[in-house]
Amino acid sequence: MKSKRYVKDKLTQLLISLVSLVGLIILVAVFFYVFSNGSSLLSWNLITGDYNSNVFNGYYSTEITTNDFAAPSSLSDEEYFSTRWGISFMDDEDTEGHHIIMITYVDIDSPLANIPDKNDETATISISSGQKLMTVRFSDNTMLLPSNGAEKANQLFDTKTSIADIMVSTSGKGIRGSLITTLYLVIMTLVIALPIGVFTAIYLHEFAPKKNKFVNVLRRLIEMLTGVPSIIFGLLGAAVFIPIVSSLTGADTGNLISGSLTLAVIILPVIISSTEETLKTIPDEYRQASLALGANRNQTTFKIILKSAIPGILSAVLLSVGRIIGESAALIYAIGTSIKDEIIITERSTSLAVHIWSVMSGEVPNFELACAISIIILIVVLVLNLSVKFIVRKIAY
Amino acid sequence: MGLTVTTKKIKQRNKIVDKITQIALLMPTILAASFVLLIIIFISERGVAPFLESQYGDLSVDLIRFLLGNEWYISPNVYGVFFIIINTLYVVFLSAVIAIPISILTALFIAKMTSKTISNFFQIVIELLAAIPSIVFGVFGLGVITNVVKKIAALFQMQTAGGISTLTTIFVLAIMIMPTITLLSITAIKAVRKDLEQNSLALGATKMQTLFKITLVDAKSGIFAGIILGVGRSLGEATAVSMVAGNAGTGPNFNLFGTTRTLTSTMLLGIKETTGLDYDIRFSVGIILVVLIIVINLLLNFAKKKIGRFS
Amino acid sequence: MEKVFTIKKLNLKYGEKTALLDINMDIPKNEITALIGPSGCGKSTLLRTLNRMNDLIENCHVKGDIKYEGNDIFSKDFDVIDLRTNVGMVFQKPNPFPMSIFDNVAYGPRCQGVKDKKILQETVIQALKNAALYDEVRDRLKESAKELSGGQQQRLCIARAIAMRPDVILMDEPTSALDPIATAKIEDLILELKQKYTIVIVTHNMQQAARISDNTAFLLMGELIEYDKTDKIFSNPAKAKTEEYITGRFG
Ligand SMILES: Nc1ncnc2c1ncn2[C@@H]1O[C@H](COP(=O)(O)OP(=O)(O)O)[C@@H](O)[C@H]1O
Ligand SMILES: [Mg+2]
Repeated sequence: MKSKRYVKDKLTQLLISLVSLVGLIILVAVFFYVFSNGSSLLSWNLITGDYNSNVFNGYYSTEITTNDFAAPSSLSDEEYFSTRWGISFMDDEDTEGHHIIMITYVDIDSPLANIPDKNDETATISISSGQKLMTVRFSDNTMLLPSNGAEKANQLFDTKTSIADIMVSTSGKGIRGSLITTLYLVIMTLVIALPIGVFTAIYLHEFAPKKNKFVNVLRRLIEMLTGVPSIIFGLLGAAVFIPIVSSLTGADTGNLISGSLTLAVIILPVIISSTEETLKTIPDEYRQASLALGANRNQTTFKIILKSAIPGILSAVLLSVGRIIGESAALIYAIGTSIKDEIIITERSTSLAVHIWSVMSGEVPNFELACAISIIILIVVLVLNLSVKFIVRKIAY
Repeated sequence: MGLTVTTKKIKQRNKIVDKITQIALLMPTILAASFVLLIIIFISERGVAPFLESQYGDLSVDLIRFLLGNEWYISPNVYGVFFIIINTLYVVFLSAVIAIPISILTALFIAKMTSKTISNFFQIVIELLAAIPSIVFGVFGLGVITNVVKKIAALFQMQTAGGISTLTTIFVLAIMIMPTITLLSITAIKAVRKDLEQNSLALGATKMQTLFKITLVDAKSGIFAGIILGVGRSLGEATAVSMVAGNAGTGPNFNLFGTTRTLTSTMLLGIKETTGLDYDIRFSVGIILVVLIIVINLLLNFAKKKIGRFS
Repeated sequence: MEKVFTIKKLNLKYGEKTALLDINMDIPKNEITALIGPSGCGKSTLLRTLNRMNDLIENCHVKGDIKYEGNDIFSKDFDVIDLRTNVGMVFQKPNPFPMSIFDNVAYGPRCQGVKDKKILQETVIQALKNAALYDEVRDRLKESAKELSGGQQQRLCIARAIAMRPDVILMDEPTSALDPIATAKIEDLILELKQKYTIVIVTHNMQQAARISDNTAFLLMGELIEYDKTDKIFSNPAKAKTEEYITGRFG
């Protein structure tokens, strides 16, 4: 004898439960997409590797006629080992889908481990595993190209006696530079923003005269920062910080310092409000007790209050780190989008997030690499956010 | 006697130290407050330059043509921002239309309709969603949502530029503002007085009637605050939008499957040089963006006061 | 005498804590029954059991038997929502909904699916009249209910309950948040309402119980100590505990 209303009620409940699955589905979809596309690329080589590939050009004119080298036991079926030169090859494809020949192993005693540089008489280069074979011209002018494949390469290497010209390149597309840039940005930004933010919070909460017009204006101006979109902060970086840093250091483009300054402004409101929130939770008795002992306000603040505010500051720091790592729009303006391997703080380079932007906004977006970097960003952001939750809970109880 | 003298001295010294600290702390505060002013001053300066004669050789932009123009081409320097404003408002509006109901219902579910464990779990899900950076949503948008939109377009026998379209932009924005609106709505809904809800139930209302007629009505101010924040976010959202908008050169375009161009995508895409007219005009677009955000904020806050009349 | 509620062996626990212990009582129709006792003795709990508002409390376990008009209110296919439309409730603190005066009163009927504007109009005006509020608010039915004074708000809540055309109205200390003048008005109203409704009222105020109720139940630590005609309880209580309480020696 339940009424029609009861049924309608249950149906509505079901509908709402289904709608609230949308958030979960999106989250799972984002993680699934990013992991399934990026995890195959995510490797130690990617993290530590250079972005730009280097080309080495050498030769070896001494004749070799013996086939003395033994194949390493770890050799797989797909690798071809030249017993004459002590080097093994494998067929592969690069991220753009072109056929390449990878060098997978070079014996330490192989003559190729140390050959004269064609471009510099006094230097030597070393062929090593992980490099791509680009072209080889043997002394009898036989040419070897990537399109010939690993098997043919092996065949030629096993029969030819000397090499007139060999060109190899390192694989490139690594993210070490962007990773280091990101770390630099995190540290420099926090070093700039933390003192300003924490001192501002202390001033506003502990020292500022109450109901003072000027203080209220300051407060409003700081609150307004929260509503400013990050691309506008980017404009601030381009219009103000880049010129300032340029005139001080002689940098002539966007650079890590101008980027850090811009990021510092972005995270400032978070640090101020989070610090002030914890200051609010510290009971007045603390302050009075300390004052009653004859300490001045100065000592009170810095000894008692600051210490108690540490959890709040810490969670602000964690949130800020997440924000810095994820920021892209502002940095595109405040630093630029050129990916670098050599990181100099007065020059350009990209954070991980802007690295993604760079590889995605080219003619051919590189989804694999973008997803691989996204995995790193997502994991860091995830860990940071869960830690903040943990800290907040710690404070609450 | 001696003790009083030293206390007096200490007191005096303490007072001075206090004063010095106060002034020392005022400095960072003023610095922090000055950034908004710096933004206004310097972006205005750079953004106004394109409309002044002889700043870039013989190039300059006519202000009226800029404000009312419906074409945007970097070469040969045709900059009309009107259709971009309309397109921006269009995608932001539609993304809000999608995100608001989903957010409010999700908030109701989390705050009122489930066990503590499930509620906590979903709360974390939404918080993580809120923490995912824009660039990742851009990659997701380009890699996944474009395909979804392509399928939708096929249903209507329409073509898209590889899934890059107005609808894709709307979906990406909706996904990005959903967590913001949801989290603020949860707070607002949890703050509703329990006795109101109890009284509603005591009047024979069903649980759902109570949630929709009492809880949501009482929480509407807080929910609206979330909507204002969400809309502000989507107006200023740049990276992800730029990746899926397609940067149409003319407009306004209301076709969901056609490409679009927003103020932020205009600012972000195709930066070649960091000087010159094409760079500085982006600051002019920045001014338009800031003004638009302020105007929409004022309008929404006005609306919020109107609807908050009974609470 | 007709009985609206028959309560048998009612036991209620909040988690491990017993709040009601073996309560047996009948609530007669068209009379005012007062529940008295010291704070925390279980008055509100007992009241809330009658329209199953305790369902909303997670760790609340009820055992025993309550019949409303002969139907077991705890049985599986008993419609709680139906029960709550027949058994109205007025809470301690006046709590108008965030909407207009009219919408407040029309809330219950609308939830039941009444859409006809004329019927709603009539119901609302009748309810406001019955709650002795109509004359004070007739010109501002569309204004926010929050603008009313505390006493008016409480009468609005009573009107809201009346608009459902219930048989029973439960009141949990309805005057404890009001000043004496507003209290007097509500007491008059309650006596007026007795003609049509069965009323169960929790009160902290002994004089109030004596003034308006026909029957009084005295509870102590979850037990029903004494339940009888109000005259009898106040003039010649059977139990020593009851006498001690009403003469103000504890509680
Ligand atoms: N929701 C609840 N959860 C746990 N214990 C409760 C709850 N509500 C009331 N109690 C306990 O049950 C007892 C009776 O409460 P109540 O019925 O409100 O008393 P009264 O209305 O007579 O003051 C009290 O001891 C109270 O602490
Ligand atoms: Mg009570």
